[in-house]
Amino acid sequence: MKPWALLVLVLVSAIAGAHSASDAYLTLDAVAKGAAGGDGGAGGDGGVGARSGAGGDGATHGKGTVVVAHGQWDIALRDLDFVLRVDDDGDGRITWGELRRHQAQIERYATSRLTFTGGSGDACALRVTRQQVDGHADGTYAVLFFDVLCDRRPKSLRMSYDLFFAIDPSHRGILVMHTGEDIATAVLAPENATVNLPL
Amino acid sequence: MHGKYAPTRICDGDPNEKRTMNLLKITLRLAAFACVFAGPLWAGPAPAANPATAAAPDPVRAPFTPAADAEVLQEVPSAADPAVSAMRTLRAKFDAEPHSLDRAIELANAYIDYSRQIGDAHYAGYAEAVIAPWRKRPVPPASVLLTEATILQYRHQFAVARDLLQQTLQLEPHNGQAWLTLATLDMVQGDYPRVSKECAAVTNDAFLVTGLACLGILRSYTGHAEQGLVLLNQAQAPSAAPGYQAWVHGLLAESAERLGRWPLAESQYRAALTLLPQDNFLLVAYADFLLDRQRPREVLPLLAGHEQSDTAFLRIALAEAALDSPQTARYTWIMGARFAALRERGSEYFGREEARFALLLQHDPQGSLELALANWQVQKAPWDARVVLEAAAAAHDPNAAAGVLDFVDETHLQDPIVVPLAKRLRDQLRASAR
Repeated sequence: MKPWALLVLVLVSAIAGAHSASDAYLTLDAVAKGAAGGDGGAGGDGGVGARSGAGGDGATHGKGTVVVAHGQWDIALRDLDFVLRVDDDGDGRITWGELRRHQAQIERYATSRLTFTGGSGDACALRVTRQQVDGHADGTYAVLFFDVLCDRRPKSLRMSYDLFFAIDPSHRGILVMHTGEDIATAVLAPENATVNLPL
Repeated sequence: MHGKYAPTRICDGDPNEKRTMNLLKITLRLAAFACVFAGPLWAGPAPAANPATAAAPDPVRAPFTPAADAEVLQEVPSAADPAVSAMRTLRAKFDAEPHSLDRAIELANAYIDYSRQIGDAHYAGYAEAVIAPWRKRPVPPASVLLTEATILQYRHQFAVARDLLQQTLQLEPHNGQAWLTLATLDMVQGDYPRVSKECAAVTNDAFLVTGLACLGILRSYTGHAEQGLVLLNQAQAPSAAPGYQAWVHGLLAESAERLGRWPLAESQYRAALTLLPQDNFLLVAYADFLLDRQRPREVLPLLAGHEQSDTAFLRIALAEAALDSPQTARYTWIMGARFAALRERGSEYFGREEARFALLLQHDPQGSLELALANWQVQKAPWDARVVLEAAAAAHDPNAAAGVLDFVDETHLQDPIVVPLAKRLRDQLRASAR
């Protein structure tokens, strides 16, 4: 019977039209030189180098004392479910309770696939500050808010993105970088996974 | 509900969260596509003003923290779905033997099949990753080239798909599946002389009935739809897998539509859907049939639960519009956001659908015409001709449709909607030439 199944698949599929594919949305907001480390967070905490002492940031591994950018990363729950099986009871519905139980796992998975390096080659750290959810036209996404921290303030950041490429080469990261009044955008793909971002 | 969620207030931020607002400003610059919706998008029925309308996705706001653990955020493939458990079994087998080409091809085909079934391209991407190690070889195996070609064809990347199919046939000149895939590709692109040869090769190298089906659909595209119906009837094989039978019923329905034989078309769509009730392609084709027959009310229950598929979503939006439903604006906005997201990621394979969207939901004939003409450079199936002609008529620009009118003439296309429209535009062209 198998040959039938295979033969059928093809004629039909070419006629279908648009299909949503895997996207993630990455928004970076450069912290202006001389601005407070976390704008609006702890007001007047002294500008560059004076990060407010938010405790418990184990993810920084001792690297990074200057917050050079804030980020928001929207990752589709459908994609996360495929790699991490977020739908624990397998009923076809991801609840907030299930997602909450996987947040630490999601953070580890995501942050291991996004790296930042300062202009001089110094590794910078990524620290997730909180997780929420939001909705896009094709479904609900996990939202990771994070800070990028470097030891010294570099002139530019080099970012390498590797989310989901190993399991889905058609995944795309839609990057928007906001530096002062300037907005830069990029579509991150396996062949275009590293970008230089002016600060 | 309507109005409250109008696009003007889609991204209200939390005033207590200055940082969120800063980030939202950036998000807003992305126009529609990255904006944020509140609450579960597909979970549970949204209270609808008109009980006849399907539950619309919930509205829009900034990132939020759900109030309760039980809140459903996203529907995903259920472990109870036999197709999902079959895929997981194949995945486990592949993970146990990651160097086995047979295991990889089995898994990739299961993913592609599921992708097609639910109208979700994620699984085509997963399939691509499974065969990637073999793709990197200097001379990839024929089965890998063929599977990759199928994925690319699904994404409407026809030129690369054709190249891979030709490579497959160099390695295996009698690969019936490769010939059928190539025939499909040339059918969609309107190269009917080549399809004729490829269908002959399918007949020789695959199954006789599959070759008959290939020739049947070709005849129905080239002015011989009655013959097409006869051939397709002969291609039926009651002992074959449900997928094959449903495929032939679907082709019979399409051929009956060419002839305006609506009751036959409908019974064939229903027969196909009895065999494959969840198949995205069949559901969408039948929804188009219902929309053309001015039966939009039936589209909503038909496509309920298939909102994830962009093609299904467009038909829901069209049905809502035809019913003059208060949900129309929201559906239109979300559909627009989905097209914007596709464009942002660099996809270009949605022209036919977007042309319909622009004409019927955005009421933009000129924009629709541009999309339809760009799509016509790539695809030349009857629906591709139709979107050009409908847009050209609405834009009062018959000249723009000249190439399509020639194609309709040359191929003797039969279609009770396209042919009268083509005649009207041709008359307008002649009148303007005088």
